[in-house]
Amino acid sequence: MKIYTGGGDRGKTSLFSGERVGKDNNRIEAYGDLDELNAVLGALAAGLPEASPGLQAELQAIQSDLFRIGAWLATTPGASAAESLPPIDPGRSVWLEGAIDRMEEDLSPLKTFILPGGHPSAAWAHVARTVCRRVERRVVRLAGDPPPGEAVAPLGRAMIYLNRLSDYLFVFARHCNRRHGIADTPWKA
Amino acid sequence: MESVSRDLQPGPFAARILSRRWLSPTAFELTLERPPGFDFQPGQRVRLGIGPNARDYSIAAAPGGPDIVLCIRRVAGGEVSTWLSKAGIGTELCGSGPHGYFTFTPSPRPAIFVATGTGVAPFVSMARAGTKGFTLLHGVKRVEDLFYRNLLAASAQRYIACLSEEAPVGSDVFAGRVTRHLERQVPPGTCDFYLCGRSEMIRDVTWLIDDRFPGSRVYSEIFY
Repeated sequence: MKIYTGGGDRGKTSLFSGERVGKDNNRIEAYGDLDELNAVLGALAAGLPEASPGLQAELQAIQSDLFRIGAWLATTPGASAAESLPPIDPGRSVWLEGAIDRMEEDLSPLKTFILPGGHPSAAWAHVARTVCRRVERRVVRLAGDPPPGEAVAPLGRAMIYLNRLSDYLFVFARHCNRRHGIADTPWKA
Repeated sequence: MESVSRDLQPGPFAARILSRRWLSPTAFELTLERPPGFDFQPGQRVRLGIGPNARDYSIAAAPGGPDIVLCIRRVAGGEVSTWLSKAGIGTELCGSGPHGYFTFTPSPRPAIFVATGTGVAPFVSMARAGTKGFTLLHGVKRVEDLFYRNLLAASAQRYIACLSEEAPVGSDVFAGRVTRHLERQVPPGTCDFYLCGRSEMIRDVTWLIDDRFPGSRVYSEIFY
C-alpha cells in the first residue's frame, strides 16, 4: 500500500485541522519530537528483558497516550477538528504518579546527581527522558502562542503529562539498574 | 454536519453481502447488512479482511440507513477487490470500523471536494446525508466512470466532471484533469479542500493549493 503522496515534497504539510504550514512550524516541531519520544520508548521497550511484560505493557500504554497528545499538537486550538479528538485524560498523569511511587518503593533515596547510564535499558530510559523534556519545552512554547483561554486547556494537560512522564522515565532508569544489580553512578564534582 | 463523534470507536464486525451493483466495467457498489450498533459519520471507512489481506473502503451510504454501501474499484491483480467482485450474495465478511477522520465540517469558506474515480465515495455519503452547497470536481477517464453523477449534481452547488480521455459532452463536463480545471476555472481564494483519490492527484492538487489558494485548509484521503 502506498503511504506517500509527495504532497509534502516542497516543505509544507497539513495539520489535522487542515492548515498548510511549513515543516519547520512550531506545531510540526512539537509533534515531530513527540514522535521521536515515542520511537525511543519503543526502543526502550524492545530492549527490556523478556521477564518484564508488566513494564512493556506500561510503556505501550504510554505510547498510546502520546498518540492522543500528538493529535492535539497537530490541531490548531479552537479549530472544529478538535471536536473529533479524544480528550487528554488528567487521570493518565495520576496513573504515572502511581507507577513512579511503585518503582520508588524499592529505590534508595538519592543524595547526589547520578550519571545517565548503567544497564542498556536504563541508558535508553535516560535518552527517552531527555527527549521528553524537549517535547515538554516545545509544548510550553506552543501553549504560549495563542491567547490564554479554554482552547489551550488540552496543551496544559499535555504539559502536566509530559512533566510527569519525565519523572517516570528517570525513576524507570533507576529501576532498571536496580533490577540488573547495577548501582547508579554518582556524579563526582 | 458534525465532526466525528468521540463515541464512534472502531470495532470488529461481521456482515453479509446483500447485493452487488456494477457502476461501470470496473467499479461496483457492494451493499452489506449493517451490523447491530454499527454507526459512522459520512467520510469514514470500513476495513474488510479477506484471508491475510485487509483493505479500507469508504462508505457511500448515509448514516442512519439500513445498510453499509461501499463503492469499490476492481483493481487488476488486486486480491481483495477481485474477491469482493465475485463473492456470492449472502457471504459473511469480517471487518472493522468505522475508521478515519475524513469528515466534512462546515465553515465560512467555500468547500471544494475533489475526487478521482471511486474516491468519490465519501462525498456520496456526505451528499446522501444532506450536505449541500459544495463544489465537486470528479476526475475520471471516461463518461462511463461518472457514477453517482445525478445524485452529486443535485446536491452540489457546482458539479464538474473532469474527463481525461474523452471529449466532453454537456455543460458540467471539462476536458482534462481536475488539476487543470482548478488551475484554469476556479478563481484564487481561501477555501476548504477535501481531496480523495489517487496519490498523484492529491500531490498535484496540494501543490496547486499552496500556490494558488494560500490560507486554505486541506483534508485528504488516499485511495488506491
